[in-house]
Amino acid sequence: MKINFSISIFLFLSLLACQENKQSIKIEREHYHHAIDKLTEVMVHDIFSPPVASRIYVYPNIAAYQTFSDKSEKYFPLTNQLNGLQNYEAIPVQAQLNLNLASLIAYINVSSELVFSKEIITNYRDSLYLEWKKINPVEFEVSKKHGIQVAEQIINWMQMDGYVETRNMPDYNIFSEDPSVWQPTPPAYMKGIEPHWNKLRPFVLDSASQFKPVPPPEFSLEPGSKFYKELISVYNINNTIRGAGDESEEIAIARFWDCNPFVSVNKGHFMFADKKISPGAHWVGICKIACNETEADFKKSVYAQTKTSIAIADAFISCWDEKYRSNLVRPETLITKYIDSEWLPILQTPPFPEYTSGHSVVSNSAAEVLTDMFGENFGFLDTTEIPYGLPSRKFNSFKDAANEAARSRVYGGIHYDSAVFEGITQGSNIGKLVNEKIDFLNTNAKP
Amino acid sequence: MFNDLPAEQSGLFFSNMVYEDLEHSIINYIYYYNGGGVATGDINGDGLPDLFFVSNMGDNKLFLNKGNLNFKDISEKAEISGNSSWNTGVTMVDINNDGLLDIYVCAVSGLLDFTGHNELFINNGDGTFTEDAKSYGLDFKGYSTQAYFFDYDKDGDLDVYIVNHAVHTNLSHGKAELRNNRVPNVGDVLLKNDNGKFIDVSKSANIFGGVNGYGLSASIADFNNDGWDDIYVCNDFHEDDYYYINNQDGTFSERLGEAFTTISRFSMGSDAADINKDGFQDLITLDMLPKEEKLLKETEGDDAMFNMQAYLKKLGYKDQFSRNMLQVNHNGDYFSEEALYHQIADTDWSWAALFADYNNDMHQDLFISNGILRRPNSLDFKKYVSSAFKGRSENEGLKWLFNSIDQMPSGNVANEIFQGNSETFTNQTGTWIKNEPQLSNGAIYVDLDLDGDLDLVTNNFNKNASIFENTTNKKSNYINLKFSYTAKNKEGIGAKASVYSGGTSQFKQLFKSRGFLSSVEGKLHFGLGTNTSVDSIQVIWPNNEVVTLKQPTINSTVTIDYKKGESFFNYQDETEQNRMFTKTNRIDFVHKEDNYNDFAEEKLIPYQVSTLGPAFAIGDVNNNGYQDLFIGSAAGKPAQLLINNGVSFQVSEQPEFEEDFKFEDNSAVFLDVDKDGDLDLYVASGANEDANFRNDRLYVNENGKYIKSQGLIPDNNLITTSIAVYDYDNDGDQDIFVGNYAELGNFGKMVDSYILVNHSNGSFTKDKNFKLQSKVTDAQWHDVNGNGQKDLIITTEWDRPYVYMNSNGNLSEMNLPEELNGLWQTSMLFDIDEDGDQDLLLGNWGLNTKFNLYFDGPLKMFHSDFDNNGKEESILAYNRNGKYYPLNSKDELSAQMNIISKRFVDHKSFASKTIEEVVTKDAISNADQFTVEELASGYLLNENGQFTKFVPFPKDFQLAPINSFLEMEVDQQKHFILGGNSNKMNTYHGKYVSLKGLLVKNKNEYNWISELGIDPFHSQIKKMETIQMKDFNLLIIISNNDEVKSYSYK
Repeated sequence: MKINFSISIFLFLSLLACQENKQSIKIEREHYHHAIDKLTEVMVHDIFSPPVASRIYVYPNIAAYQTFSDKSEKYFPLTNQLNGLQNYEAIPVQAQLNLNLASLIAYINVSSELVFSKEIITNYRDSLYLEWKKINPVEFEVSKKHGIQVAEQIINWMQMDGYVETRNMPDYNIFSEDPSVWQPTPPAYMKGIEPHWNKLRPFVLDSASQFKPVPPPEFSLEPGSKFYKELISVYNINNTIRGAGDESEEIAIARFWDCNPFVSVNKGHFMFADKKISPGAHWVGICKIACNETEADFKKSVYAQTKTSIAIADAFISCWDEKYRSNLVRPETLITKYIDSEWLPILQTPPFPEYTSGHSVVSNSAAEVLTDMFGENFGFLDTTEIPYGLPSRKFNSFKDAANEAARSRVYGGIHYDSAVFEGITQGSNIGKLVNEKIDFLNTNAKP
Repeated sequence: MFNDLPAEQSGLFFSNMVYEDLEHSIINYIYYYNGGGVATGDINGDGLPDLFFVSNMGDNKLFLNKGNLNFKDISEKAEISGNSSWNTGVTMVDINNDGLLDIYVCAVSGLLDFTGHNELFINNGDGTFTEDAKSYGLDFKGYSTQAYFFDYDKDGDLDVYIVNHAVHTNLSHGKAELRNNRVPNVGDVLLKNDNGKFIDVSKSANIFGGVNGYGLSASIADFNNDGWDDIYVCNDFHEDDYYYINNQDGTFSERLGEAFTTISRFSMGSDAADINKDGFQDLITLDMLPKEEKLLKETEGDDAMFNMQAYLKKLGYKDQFSRNMLQVNHNGDYFSEEALYHQIADTDWSWAALFADYNNDMHQDLFISNGILRRPNSLDFKKYVSSAFKGRSENEGLKWLFNSIDQMPSGNVANEIFQGNSETFTNQTGTWIKNEPQLSNGAIYVDLDLDGDLDLVTNNFNKNASIFENTTNKKSNYINLKFSYTAKNKEGIGAKASVYSGGTSQFKQLFKSRGFLSSVEGKLHFGLGTNTSVDSIQVIWPNNEVVTLKQPTINSTVTIDYKKGESFFNYQDETEQNRMFTKTNRIDFVHKEDNYNDFAEEKLIPYQVSTLGPAFAIGDVNNNGYQDLFIGSAAGKPAQLLINNGVSFQVSEQPEFEEDFKFEDNSAVFLDVDKDGDLDLYVASGANEDANFRNDRLYVNENGKYIKSQGLIPDNNLITTSIAVYDYDNDGDQDIFVGNYAELGNFGKMVDSYILVNHSNGSFTKDKNFKLQSKVTDAQWHDVNGNGQKDLIITTEWDRPYVYMNSNGNLSEMNLPEELNGLWQTSMLFDIDEDGDQDLLLGNWGLNTKFNLYFDGPLKMFHSDFDNNGKEESILAYNRNGKYYPLNSKDELSAQMNIISKRFVDHKSFASKTIEEVVTKDAISNADQFTVEELASGYLLNENGQFTKFVPFPKDFQLAPINSFLEMEVDQQKHFILGGNSNKMNTYHGKYVSLKGLLVKNKNEYNWISELGIDPFHSQIKKMETIQMKDFNLLIIISNNDEVKSYSYK
């Protein structure tokens, strides 16, 4: 346990500090990752849908990044670079300000505003506060004040993003008689998730529809049609890989990338849920792995997470815009109705329209920015899903991983080919736009 | 009244101990906590009923009754412990016709590692038994629940219906049609007794046996009194219950859809008995709706079923609701559901229902056994606890999950008992029996100590079985009947008896398996109260021969011997000759609702505001002396004008109606706005997704064509319910009251209604002196005080009725009794007490809805922007013991108000919180508040021209909301018909369609319309009218989302 180890170093150092000059509080990449993990843990507990989870990840990162970037020669702040973030006022530097510490404090304080179980985050924060205070009370107080001021500004900006307004907008109406239109799916028949997510302010996109994909193949149950071919292909692929059994590579891929935060299981009256992280969280994890592998410092880690989470958040806005535009029915609904009433997809069908595949868009957007930051052929062992009972998988590059994630949705029986194919394009367009439009690194800075 | 006897005293040491391990638990077998049955009968001929207890996984036990409530365990010698891995139901019945009771025990076999089969323990007459199911063909192997022996084909021997249950996870719901494909293990079976050998005739008898049959009990009775026994099967989960009518030819027809309109979702135990002394057997089916506030909010309920129900409907299943259902039998034709009225709907996790006269007062009482070891439907368990079940392979995951099941909340619940008076039931839990939470499954009534009252026995889960000694004893009289019937059915199973005493009769039919997994004695028990004699007893034998006994000895068990050659009972339907209405299909119009979904827009509202049509108006448009009809449509379909030639109706082409098809028509009136001698038409518009189609419309008649006017009436984009026309200012032109009900999307907002004053040329402006802000449902002009000027009577929801007295156009409010805020739907003046003056009849919500369950004080609605996001919410709260609790679940509230998720992370922290704790005290005190103080329909009593007090109608009028009254002459006497029902409700409520229609002469004399030839009302009645045709009168019934029905009468 790295973290406990470093905390005990703090304790040790703080004891020393009683005798001499107070030590500075050391905040490293690991501390940042630990705070991210804490947030992830609360998100899994509280159950957030994938789009909402992407919003919870991105704002704390931006607060953390913003804290130090406007004091940095190496990094540019995001002021005027993200939609609506025009009036950000740089907080003046005070003596003994520890920027890393302030940055982490900003992160945690924004996090606590976003989850339901706020108390878990504030308890976590308060116990850290206690430790830091012991080490260096002055530095802590100065940095805390700074971090909170940043957090407040980011929270104000965040609250104008349309999220609150979308909370009580109408649900998706399930009463359509059009067979091509999305319907709730077994076993829980949950409401369509976030039908108004496209009304949120994007970060970099000029609008939710900036990378509007081509429409899905025209709905048809005529055997010769493109749509029907894709439908029957989902059915056939699933049957083939199911026949190959649990050990098959395709099933392993499908499960690895499931990333469904709430899989309902009903056994008679007995109901339970299999909770996992969202697709966004998985890529947050991959970003962590890249930072660890490159031994990134604190600031580089914050930068990497910020850029990745912006790419993910805009990917969700863009993807959800298309989902409720095309409102396409899931394979499960059609297959059980017209082809095989006993059929079950390998993964549980998530509760929103089919086109385009969220995982394809999000993974490719994230991979695009990660490639930009860490390089084309960045090989890594993806251990993100281990805490959720899944194995690790090895990838030669971010794009390999993203393409596998996209493909996994057809193996899982929850998407047609077009949703994956067009989703990849949509995602990489968004990632490229993030790369182009936001200047993070000051390339003129002294080495 | 009931004494709980300790085992030390009774000698009855038996516990149904159920152990769980990784491979055997509720995770692997959904009915692991259903418990075992209990059966009674005199196995040794000593006159004392003995007891048999089923142990799910241990040894079954048999106890000899030694008298004085003392029992001896003879299991070991009897050899009845059982060879199956998992036992369920039990019946004592004489299979081999040797006069000794044999024991038939059902088993689950072929599931998990369960082995064995249903077992038949043949009574050797010496205290020992021999298992011999195979010789009789009764060694059924599958997932059996309970066996029901009866003679379905009237060949004199006992056949058996075996209820089996599905176990497949309801991960995927197949189509309802799956029930047609018989599958082994799961499908129910009907076995015909063919000379002592039982043969499976399920298929040829039309018995469903699909993979979706979650059968948990059945009730056998001759429900339609045709002399042949019928079957009601209770199915758990999404599968509908089955109602099999015996076709008298060895086959059955399943007719649930025709006879029942409201059925329980998770149907468990059941019982049939004539509870209201009308000679027809009624039915109760049990479900699992909790009573406790905390549990209601911590477990998944009907509120969460919206999407599921919509989906199941597409698969062909009926709407079902999770609450006990009391189905009152109407002449064998159909049933009306009344459990909420009797407050027996929410007894929590309920297994056995047993109707019997426990206090010997001549009325059927009701016992219900309750409790489940762990509540698997806990929302917190599902969301926050069980997630140990990670994305592992299923097998590994189940191990993880098994470790978490201890975290499921306990489901100990007290058994309940209700006292009946043949009219209603009163809860006597805590008085008659202890209010002590426990786990009881199978249950029976039996007079164990032969003292004339019925004791109760329950088979308990992981605990010693209970005997409840009934101490009514000699306080009331009784008579028991035993039958000695023919050789192959000595006990006379299926025999009916009516006991006439003290001016009333009680009717019962003898069947053994009742309630849940259990069977009672082959005797009929009748309480006689203080009556000291029985006038006569009429017995209808299973072969439908009838015999009458005079003056039998009371306070004894009378055995009635069958003698051949007696006359057959005449089952003729006496109501046939009363049918004064004849169904015609003269009006060809079907109202079909559009797909607008109020609950997607406003997630907290209790009922829709978008299904209030159709509009309906009558008027002689072409001056041929016959009333023509205007019928409006829901959004998306055009209205129709139907021209009446005295014999039939022809559609009149009206291009503007076609053009205006997008409007939703709620109400309409013909009137001559411009005094040109022809009828113009005002159409009030209802809810519409498209804001361009909400305005009211005035169509002016131009040579028979209706042309939409421009600028004659003010814009009205609210949801309008009522239009009432009268020249109230007495200036020679027609004025219009426009009643508004709601603003779409803002349920709780009170809206303005107004009077349009006609400027003699057909243009109108609002009467500035008249102001009413409310939710108007109906309005009419009637002369209340007989001064020759019509007064204005208005009904409203979340407000009171209004009566405005008219004096030459000046309207002044009449004082009405206090505390009359209700959900009023309609009104009519009628002399219901026949005292010569007009009383004001008021249709309200009725007393058979979920609002009635928690009504310790007025119902409240709070209206405000609770979360300050610019959108107003309407939140309902009910009163329990003086405190107000939100009606909605945490998930519903947080879907509308995100802040709730932050305030209450889990369901436990939300449960039992008052409305003030949920949305904060400040928010409540700043909110507009509306109340409902009265839910009953009734009338305002006219005393000397004043409406002095509100008098509720009798029970039969309260079974659903009353939407419409219609006065009509029948036999030259004034009557009225009432109709109503509501399909508008959200899934928390379900449908309220138990008001089947009454023809009323006065407050004491009324008939069900079905007795007069009118189909019972199953739909949401909007309006009724009568018009004269050339040779007869026509009664027209207008319903929402249904065809228009019409009946001719003289």
